[in-house]
Amino acid sequence: MGGFTVKTFGILAQKLNQQELELPFCTDTEELKQKIFQLYPNLEDFKFSLAVDKKLVQEPQPLTGNEEIALLPPFSGG
Amino acid sequence: MSRFSRQTILPGFGNEGQEKLAKARVLVIGAGGLGCPILLHLAAAGVGSLGIADGDNISESNLNRQTLFGVKDIGKPKAGTAADKLKETYPDINFEVISEFLNTHNALEIIEGYDLVLDGSDNFGTRYLINDACVLLHKPLIMGAIYQYEGQVAVFNTGSDPINYRDIYPNPPGEQEIPNCAEAGVLGVLPGMIGILQATEAIKLLSGVGEVLQNKILLYNLRTTSFFELEVTPNPSSRKDLPLDREAFRKKDYSIQCGAVETISWGKALDWLNQTENALIIDVRAPGEWPEMQFPGMVQIPKPDLEKYPEKVSSVEHLFLFCKSGIRSAQAAAFLKKTFPEKRIFSIEGGILDPSSPLNSATYGAKA
Repeated sequence: MGGFTVKTFGILAQKLNQQELELPFCTDTEELKQKIFQLYPNLEDFKFSLAVDKKLVQEPQPLTGNEEIALLPPFSGG
Repeated sequence: MSRFSRQTILPGFGNEGQEKLAKARVLVIGAGGLGCPILLHLAAAGVGSLGIADGDNISESNLNRQTLFGVKDIGKPKAGTAADKLKETYPDINFEVISEFLNTHNALEIIEGYDLVLDGSDNFGTRYLINDACVLLHKPLIMGAIYQYEGQVAVFNTGSDPINYRDIYPNPPGEQEIPNCAEAGVLGVLPGMIGILQATEAIKLLSGVGEVLQNKILLYNLRTTSFFELEVTPNPSSRKDLPLDREAFRKKDYSIQCGAVETISWGKALDWLNQTENALIIDVRAPGEWPEMQFPGMVQIPKPDLEKYPEKVSSVEHLFLFCKSGIRSAQAAAFLKKTFPEKRIFSIEGGILDPSSPLNSATYGAKA
């Protein structure tokens, strides 16, 4: 089954030192988040929103594989 | 040829679009990295009335991006200085100077007088405050924000299925999660890009030209020259945190708590310092930030140096940290507390902007 390409932004990309991650298959967005925190524990301190195929997700959502995931932290600077 | 002929001859804009701009009253919150390009372009385009809200003064380190200001303006108030500069260039535009930071007591009254609001603020507390006030007053809001080499833009409270900031970010982060420009660093062109995107959406929204960036958030990355757009839909569960009426808004606390950091007022910190030699007040701002401060018992250690050389503060038992507004000092206090759990470490509330700071008291003369 297909995994996921995960785009990261802002402080998340900075903490990971990369803008894209490749993750193994997960059945839904909750499992995906757990997987991210397990593989990259330094992201656990940060709040971010998650998008699947360029749509922001508000409730846990099932995944079929190969979706494009994006992790979006808020920016405060002005 | 009129001053606006190059835009009135545009198909779809015309004199009608220009008249709409001329009649509009637009509030720009923050006359900083985002606010300067926003104000310049809205004024140049002929927006009739521009409110400029900012309670801050100009620092030397602002000048790489706050392009309405020059070296002669250091120390002057941002809102009034921006209005003076723009008035010289566009004397027929009505500029309204609001030399205050927005808070729960003044925000509704200020925002109420305008048709459209642009958020160019620089901290999460203010961003949620502006959002909630605009939701309450049904005012369209154009949000722009930056982080290092990236920026984001979104348009709220407009269209048939309007979204707001809480639909994108339901949970406010701790202020310590994300640093502000003072320590994150920023290339001046980035807020220029994002501010101009905000001004563009404002002109489209007011004139009716084109399609407004509705129900979306746009992301820009300077390093890769890439844009990325995400669709956003209203999120009913995030709306439980919105104040339901004016009274609830006035009572809401928008200050972002920085973990378990102890805070203290200027008065108590200075009393403490007078009573014991085992205490130190530390200015954790970056070198060169205006205004310079120097008083007995005070030392300057920029926040990044504290992290590198914590031994500089290891000899005293009581530490009082301050910065401009109390955000960085709270972050620094949280950091030091981890290294020195046995010490009393306080962040001074409100920083030097606080009315009770030595900067504002009669006993201290600020070096302008």
